Amino acid sequence: MEADRPLFIPVILGTARMGRMSLHAAQLVTGELSKCAGVETDLIDIAKLPLPTNDAGEAIKHADFSAKMIKADALVVVSPEYNHGYSGLLKHVLDSCLKEYIHKAVGIVGVSAGPFGGTRVIQNLLPVMRELGLVTIFWDVNFSSVQKVFTEDGRLLDESYIRRIDKFLKELIWMAKTLRQGRARISID
Amino acid sequence: MTRTDKMTCPSCRVEMNHHSDKLVYTVEPQDIGQADPGLGGFIEELHTCPNCGGAASRLA
Repeated sequence: MEADRPLFIPVILGTARMGRMSLHAAQLVTGELSKCAGVETDLIDIAKLPLPTNDAGEAIKHADFSAKMIKADALVVVSPEYNHGYSGLLKHVLDSCLKEYIHKAVGIVGVSAGPFGGTRVIQNLLPVMRELGLVTIFWDVNFSSVQKVFTEDGRLLDESYIRRIDKFLKELIWMAKTLRQGRARISID
Repeated sequence: MTRTDKMTCPSCRVEMNHHSDKLVYTVEPQDIGQADPGLGGFIEELHTCPNCGGAASRLA
């Protein structure tokens, strides 16, 4: 039965930049998600998606990414803040799907080298998520001064992030369960 | 105009739940004829199987 199937909540790493510290944040969130009962996860690195750049939108849909979005009950988007915005490649990837996202939950993790923890990129992503049909949660995770949060090889230096991620994931999982029920049981008609 | 016929899950053969109408803005010239002039695009219906969770869509 549908209700017995584990939730699938992939984590999208939203940057292809060399030396990206967001990788450590994405790996940490993926690791915490994998500890949650009844949840399966996967880290999707957009740098490894071979999407063409001579077209855009659903015309360049990648079969594997689309299949994961169809299977997903919720998403985590990990985005660094570059010049107050998200990476162009993240938008390019997100725009390659549409109906796959409808009525699914999304939580956003902001990452920055400065003190604001990606708050501005999160604000900029919210209207994009809304138009894609995703349902945003009210918890975020903000990695401020990320170079001080992780060692170069990705070891977490500030354990307080574990509790914040736990709160974020609990809300995301609740929303994922609720929306799964809604998609399957509650008619719009 | 809303379609009244129910979609059937291709895997389970059970009636699917119509849970969303998404307005998709028309960008391709060949799609312009399908656009609802009042909405500026076309409506894609989203349906989910209550048994297996499978998803399907169709134009309204």
